Amino acid sequence: MASLAAAQVQEVRSITRIERIGAHSHIRGLGLDDSLEPRAVSQGMVGQKMARKAAGVILQMIREGKIAGRAVLLAGQPGTGKTAIAMGLAQALGPDTPFTSMAGSEIFSLEMSKTEALTQAIRKSIGIRIKEESEIIEGEVVEVVVERAAGGGGAKAGRLTLKTTDMETNYDMGSKMIDSLLKEKVQAGDVITIDKATGKINKLGRSFARARDYDATGQQARFVQCPEGELQKRKEVVHTVTLHEVDVINSRTHGFLALFSGDTGEIKSEIREQINGKVAEWREEGKAEMIPGVLFIDEAHMLDIECFSFLNRALESETAPVVIMATNRGITRIRGTNYRSPHGIPLDLLDRMIIVPTEPYHQAELKEILNIRCEEEDCQMSSEALTVLTRVATETSLRYAIQLITTASLVAKRRKATEVSMEDVKKVYSLFLDEHRSEQFLKEYQDEFMFNDGAGDAPQMMEVVQ
Amino acid sequence: MKRKSKLIKMSGESEDNSFEKRLRDNFVKSYKHSDKMYKNTTWYKCLIDSEKSCLKEDITKKIHYKFDNDKEMVEEYNLETCVLLRRAWKVKGKLGGEGKWSVEIGDPIYDTTPNNETADIVESKDQPIVTRRNTRTNLEWRIRNLPYPINTYSISANKDEKCIIVRTTNKKYFKKLQIPELERLNLLVEQANISFNHQFQTLIIMYKKPQDLLDMEKEWFEELKKVKPIKDMPDDCKTQ
Repeated sequence: MASLAAAQVQEVRSITRIERIGAHSHIRGLGLDDSLEPRAVSQGMVGQKMARKAAGVILQMIREGKIAGRAVLLAGQPGTGKTAIAMGLAQALGPDTPFTSMAGSEIFSLEMSKTEALTQAIRKSIGIRIKEESEIIEGEVVEVVVERAAGGGGAKAGRLTLKTTDMETNYDMGSKMIDSLLKEKVQAGDVITIDKATGKINKLGRSFARARDYDATGQQARFVQCPEGELQKRKEVVHTVTLHEVDVINSRTHGFLALFSGDTGEIKSEIREQINGKVAEWREEGKAEMIPGVLFIDEAHMLDIECFSFLNRALESETAPVVIMATNRGITRIRGTNYRSPHGIPLDLLDRMIIVPTEPYHQAELKEILNIRCEEEDCQMSSEALTVLTRVATETSLRYAIQLITTASLVAKRRKATEVSMEDVKKVYSLFLDEHRSEQFLKEYQDEFMFNDGAGDAPQMMEVVQ
Repeated sequence: MKRKSKLIKMSGESEDNSFEKRLRDNFVKSYKHSDKMYKNTTWYKCLIDSEKSCLKEDITKKIHYKFDNDKEMVEEYNLETCVLLRRAWKVKGKLGGEGKWSVEIGDPIYDTTPNNETADIVESKDQPIVTRRNTRTNLEWRIRNLPYPINTYSISANKDEKCIIVRTTNKKYFKKLQIPELERLNLLVEQANISFNHQFQTLIIMYKKPQDLLDMEKEWFEELKKVKPIKDMPDDCKTQ
């Protein structure tokens, strides 16, 4: 029992450790109701009603899965929630729909060509649901023991004891498995199945034998019989894999050499064709189902003309996913050419897209977003501090105001206050410059910086480049 | 009339004769049939039809089979004792890829390349593990890491599921042992053929090979002599 208690303590600690707070970690969906109408504040989403409504329509299109190769462009100023809408869409689609997120600059890799990177991204966004025989472990949890290596960080080792009415076995677990066990909150007395190949855990319920352990079990607690016979069984399970994963499995002919190369590099087009043929065969026989997903390309203006023309062609394929791009540029040069075009995207591709604009937030919406971020970053803020912060956000930028939340809360903690006051916000506002004030500062003291002898020349140079 | 009766008599005689003959023929045939019963099994036909290649190494002989349904199997024989040391099947996933060897008889092949993709849950090192190792007269299973005394185990033949079931009275271990050798010849599992033994934390289960299986193995070993071993054997990676 002592080890069990230890596992519980570990659980609490590791959850606070794993979940780091990202820029969009407060987004839990698109914040739409059942008829796809946007709610004012919901699932971390605030304002931007038209764009969210549009995203709702796109969501419906993806869910139906009939239309291949549509492109959507989210266009708007910096900090107007383009990435947030894409993340919300991913959340709303759920874990079964493939959602690949990439930045436009990611394709400029030395390992593979641009078109290969794009092809891989496209194939990562198409799922195949297929029935496959797999090794399933099914049993009642007797004990979960998690040990962490001395020193707190790094490698974890875990042991899981499972039983059926006929047998009992100990399993060794690696850190990935431990994390997912803790995430599922698996404890002694639960009846679970584990897919040995994928590590997917499924909680079937609690064992009848444990029905009297606690008085206060939740109403949704389901009681099941402890399984019989062998712990490990072969069963048909439905897997969702992406086309890219199938490509990788079939392209690895060099066996253990893959160990040294690490990643997969480029995949031959013959293999892709072969797999397309096979998948079409499976679909005809009813063995597999295709799930078209979403490819999200952030900072799409970073793509160059080759990528755009490749995308033009790729979108026409039957197996293309829905491509969502986001950009914060206005009329600008298309990368790789000297032509200028709206959003830095060629007109022929723009013509194939539906464009969803996002607009700057109003003051009330900014306040609401800051409030949500305060909650997300675990920071108590007084109402006047929040008002000041909202003013900062309207005058400078939303991103800068969000930066001030945690910094202000650290300042407040240093004077042992439980709540962030107006003074704390003012203090960090004076400590950290925003982009505008920094520019002002530079203009004022330009002469004193390094390499500034020909001060008068610099602006002219800039104009020439432009 | 006389002629007629004679004719009838003759025909009657011949009928009698042929009936007796047929009976004897049938008996011999059925005897022969039961003798070579395995020849009618799909398994034996598959073996005959498969594409075989052979390697000889000192006293072991390795045979690689390629079946019509794209399956691959490897057998390893000891030439002195004529005993099958190892039999392994290549198991391919539905999604394709290289596939892995799954060992039916002999010591398991450990995966030397650490695999990051498979989920990291495995039986602990101290948990029971089943291996197969056949002798000339017995099919044998060895279950290592079973520390319980011999009276804990009950081993029974299950005719419905065509397997041997190992149970323990302390409910610590349970296993259904498949017997592919018998299944391939459509033979039933007999409780009388099972015996078992326990020492050094290992439970050894022995199943006496039925006559049919013995005959088949003997004949198949002779048959394999027809497969010419590959002369220019590729150099083994001695550096590893």
